[in-house]
Order: sequence, then structure tokens, then C-alpha cells
Amino acid sequence: MSLLSVKNLRVTFDTEAGRVEAVRGVSFTLGRERLGIVGESGSGKTMTGRSMLRLIRPPGRIEADEMRFDGIDLLRASEREMRALRGPRMAMVMQDPKYSLNPVMKVGRQLTEGLRLRDRLGAGDARKKAIEALQAVQIRDPERVMEAWPHELSGGMGQRVMIAMMLIPNPDLLIADEPTSALDVTVQAEVLKILDDLVKTRGMGLIFISHDLRLVARFCDRVLVMYKGRVVEEVQAGNLMAARHPYTRGLLNCLPRIGGPREPLPSLDRSGTWAEA
Amino acid sequence: MALIEIDNLSVHFDAGDRIVKAVQDVSLQVAARESYGLVGESGSGKSTILRAICGLAPISGGTVRIGGEPLKTPRGKGFSARVQMVFQDPYSSLHPRHTIDRTLSEPLAIHGVGNTDARVVQALRDVALDPTFRFRFPHQLSGGQRQRVAIARALMLQPEILLLDEPTSALDASVQAETLNLLNRLRAERGLTFLMVSHDLAVIDHMCDRVLVMQHGRAVEELARDDLAAARMTTSYARTLFDASADRMLDGA
Ligand SMILES: Nc1ncnc2c1ncn2[C@@H]1O[C@H](COP(=O)(O)OP(=O)(O)OP(=O)(O)O)[C@@H](O)[C@H]1O
Ligand SMILES: Nc1ncnc2c1ncn2[C@@H]1O[C@H](COP(=O)(O)OP(=O)(O)OP(=O)(O)O)[C@@H](O)[C@H]1O
Ligand SMILES: [Mg+2]
Ligand SMILES: [Mg+2]
Repeated sequence: MSLLSVKNLRVTFDTEAGRVEAVRGVSFTLGRERLGIVGESGSGKTMTGRSMLRLIRPPGRIEADEMRFDGIDLLRASEREMRALRGPRMAMVMQDPKYSLNPVMKVGRQLTEGLRLRDRLGAGDARKKAIEALQAVQIRDPERVMEAWPHELSGGMGQRVMIAMMLIPNPDLLIADEPTSALDVTVQAEVLKILDDLVKTRGMGLIFISHDLRLVARFCDRVLVMYKGRVVEEVQAGNLMAARHPYTRGLLNCLPRIGGPREPLPSLDRSGTWAEA
Repeated sequence: MALIEIDNLSVHFDAGDRIVKAVQDVSLQVAARESYGLVGESGSGKSTILRAICGLAPISGGTVRIGGEPLKTPRGKGFSARVQMVFQDPYSSLHPRHTIDRTLSEPLAIHGVGNTDARVVQALRDVALDPTFRFRFPHQLSGGQRQRVAIARALMLQPEILLLDEPTSALDASVQAETLNLLNRLRAERGLTFLMVSHDLAVIDHMCDRVLVMQHGRAVEELARDDLAAARMTTSYARTLFDASADRMLDGA
């Protein structure tokens, strides 16, 4: 049985300026593997991820024919059951990590709070675990970062703190929304290795949302390509560079290369019928 | 004379009982109409350099001059007409309770620029956002849409210098290409000067004439574009970054 299965997910916002259909019929299943989601800015990747945790704020609405996690019907679960799932069993690394951290609580307290309340660790043990988690994501001076306020972190440090925080309770499913977009290549490689180990050794399921095609092609097992709220293509990650959908092909052509020409980058030709709503 | 002159800049933060030396003794010069890149380890002080120029981080040592003039504190209206910054973290740089319309038109009002409506619509078009986005709030946008609003806002006053902190890190390849093309076109047409941070060496290579590699708050090595592309770096950290990046350039892409 798969860890997560989603059938015909739709996310709709009724705003004063009209209806926005952010997700329009997305279906997929996830095992204990690395599933990538790529796609255009605004195509519904984040809303798809947040829907799994039922974290869509009103007036947003989630509808689906099925949304099941490890046998649990997420559409029918009570808010209380959802709260028990979020964190220990399903976690999400948010796209704007510094915004998602509590701005008026020091990083150390945010990292240790769950360990103390949920796992009933003493202050010293919780602190030790938190520092280890920061070291694992290549934070150079974890002692200082424990005492820092979120606004004192660099962009990439905020991302890594958020990853450390989400991994501490050992979730079965991690949804990582652009988790490494602010990291230089060498630190990024270390962080990906941690995620990879968790999938391989602990059987965690990973949804890896990213706009970085090269990264997804190397790191994931399977990739969903989204466009305007729909999945337009599903490919084995290794075959992404040979993708057939015109959107995916177009994306590949737009990437700059080291030593490439200085002329304007090719932009996506949206005149095809595929691009119509 | 270079347009932006940074001499031995140090930025120290007072964080409780310790001092964080975010930038130590960094010097760089950016000529008028040049595009200069900053790359390096996460936490190495790249954003702090841009923030110090804008007066948002303390200059603890060294000097920053623009057009030969030392910077005034506070920076003032003249500075913001001339220098604009696109922040790494668009969420925290956009006012949560202001519509996009207000965010984009406010700088015009402050500087007494007219024709607001048409300018706002054009600014949104420039970053490939539909004009209907005007009436939304930041939380009603996707991450990349917010980043594009931040770019549009920086362009509203037609500044001469753009400080760009990871301007396309939240954008997919197609929107990134359109945004980079827009920035390059504006630079050519209006003679803009860029100081730009990115962790993506391919983006830096495409956009910048020279690049400074940073690590632990210090400048490690400055490279001209040709030397970057030909892997003619001399320090091991710059080489590590290059190798790890080159490794990611998949065949056929
Ligand atoms: N509260 C809201 N009200 C109205 N529309 C919204 C709201 N939140 C998001 N949207 C819209 O839903 C669409 C999907 O957003 P989502 O954040 O899922 O995009 P995304 O694929 O994650 O994009 P990005 O790569 O830019 O982060 C976007 O067009 C966005 O403008
Ligand atoms: N207000 C502050 N108070 C204390 N320390 C700070 C503050 N702002 C930044 N720092 C520290 O300064 C260092 C440099 O941060 P900076 O944001 O310049 O890094 P960066 O090179 O932009 O990294 P990234 O690529 O991750 O965004 C970091 O160690 C950060 O924690
Ligand atoms: Mg998103
Ligand atoms: Mg930064």
C-alpha cells in the first residue's frame, strides 16, 4: 500500500476579485521514495503540498475524491487528528522559512520545544539533540544560532533551521517546498544527502517541490510536472531531460549555462494548444 | 572612478553576549554600467554587504562610496531614487496588509512621480504578472509571484543602481529566463549598474562581468567572467564551488 494517495485534488479561492483555481484535479501516489514536483511559478505546487496537511487558509477550499495517508482519510480527519499528524508524522518545510519561523522566539527554543513537550526530554538532552540537528545541516556555529532570533539568520541558514526542525521528530512523510533554493551547491549537497538517507534507511516518503530541473533530475525518483494547476507530465527523474511535453521541453531550453552565450535566454513559447486553460 | 566603491568593509552585529563578524575587510569596485556578482557559502555575508549599502546593516569598519560620495546616514530620498534593492526574502520585504497596487504605487507618490496607473500595470507586465494581481495581498500570491512583485517595485523609480539579492531563486526556468532578459535589457537601455547575489553560478555567468567569491565573511577570490567560464580560479574554495556547479550541468540542458 502506498504511503500517500491523492485523487483529483482541487484547491479553490473565492476572492473579491473572482475565483482562483489554484489546483485543478491533481492525482498521484507516493511510496517510500523521492517524488519531485516541478512547474511554473504559480502552477499550484505549494498549494498541493499544503493540502496534504490541510493547511489551506479560508477562503481557500480543498476538495478531492481521495486523500489518504498511511490508511488515514485526510479529508475526514478531525482538526484534532490533523494536529496530531502534523509534525510527528507529516511535516512540511515551507517555501518562506524565515516567515514560517516564530519571529519572537529564539531558534533554540523553537527547535527544542517539541522535544521537551512531546518527547519529554530534559533541557540538556533536548539542547544536545537540537545542536546535532543544526550541525547535520552544516550550520557552522550552532551554539550561536541556538541563541539567535530568526531575523538574524541568513536566507540559507533559515532554510536549514527549518529543515532541522522538521526532521527532529522523524516524520514518515516530508514535504519540502523549495528547501534548498537559497543554498550554495556544496551545502546543498550535504542537505540533500540527509534527506536521501532518511528515504533510504528510514523509509521516509519525500515530496520535493523545486523549480530546479537539474537538481530534481538528479535527486528524485519520479517527477510530476505541473502547469496551471494540473499535472501535465509524469516522468522517471532520470528521463527528465528526455521529457516530451512541450512545457517541460521548453523549460529545459530556458536554462542558462556556465560559458553559454550572452544573448537573451530562449523564453517559453506559450502559443501551443497545451498552454491554453 | 568606479560607481560603487567598497573599501575594507566590515560589518559586525552585536548579538547578545557575542559579536558576529558577518563581513570582514571586503573591498570591491563596480564600474558604471557593470554587472558584478557575489557568490559563496550560505551565511558568508553576501546579503549583509547589500544591506550595509542600503543602511540596513551597521558599517563597523571601512567605507562605501557611490559616485565618489560617502553615504549619508540615514540614506534619504535621493539615495532611494538612485539605488534600489531586491531583497532575498520577498515575504518580509512586502508589507503584509498593503495590496500589490499600493506597494508599487507608494514609491511613486513619495517621489512625486505621476501617471501611477499606467506605470503600475506596465511594471506588472514587465515581470510577467497579470494586471489583475494589483488588487491582491502578498499572502494571496505564490512564492515566485511575490519575488516578481519585489523586482517590479525596485524598478518603479527607474534607479541607476540595482542591488539584487537572489532575484530569481524562487522562479522556475521560464520565468527566470524572462526576468533575467528583462534585467539585461533594462541594463542595456538605461545604462544600469548591478550588484547581484546568486548561488547559481550559471545565472552569475550569464549576468555578470565579474564575480567575487566569498566564504566566512571574507572575499576569497575575484574572477572575470571568462576566467569563471574557463575554470581559471586559483583558490580551492572557488574551485570546489565551480566543480560542484559544473557537475550539475546535465547533458542536453
Ligand atoms: N490566498 C490566495 N488567494 C487567491 N489566490 C491564491 C492564494 N494563494 C495562492 N493563490 C494562487 O494560487 C496559485 C498557485 O499558488 P502556489 O503557491 O501553489 O504556486 P507555486 O506553484 O507554489 O508557485 P511558486 O513556484 O511561484 O512558489 C497562484 O496563481 C497564486 O496566485
Ligand atoms: N541582524 C543580525 N544579527 C546578528 N547576526 C546577523 C544579522 N544579520 C545577519 N547576521 C549573520 O551574519 C552572517 C552573514 O549573513 P548573510 O545574510 O549576509 O549571509 P549570506 O551570504 O547572504 O547567506 P545566504 O546565502 O544563506 O543568504 C550570518 O552568520 C548571519 O547569521
Ligand atoms: Mg510555491
Ligand atoms: Mg543572503
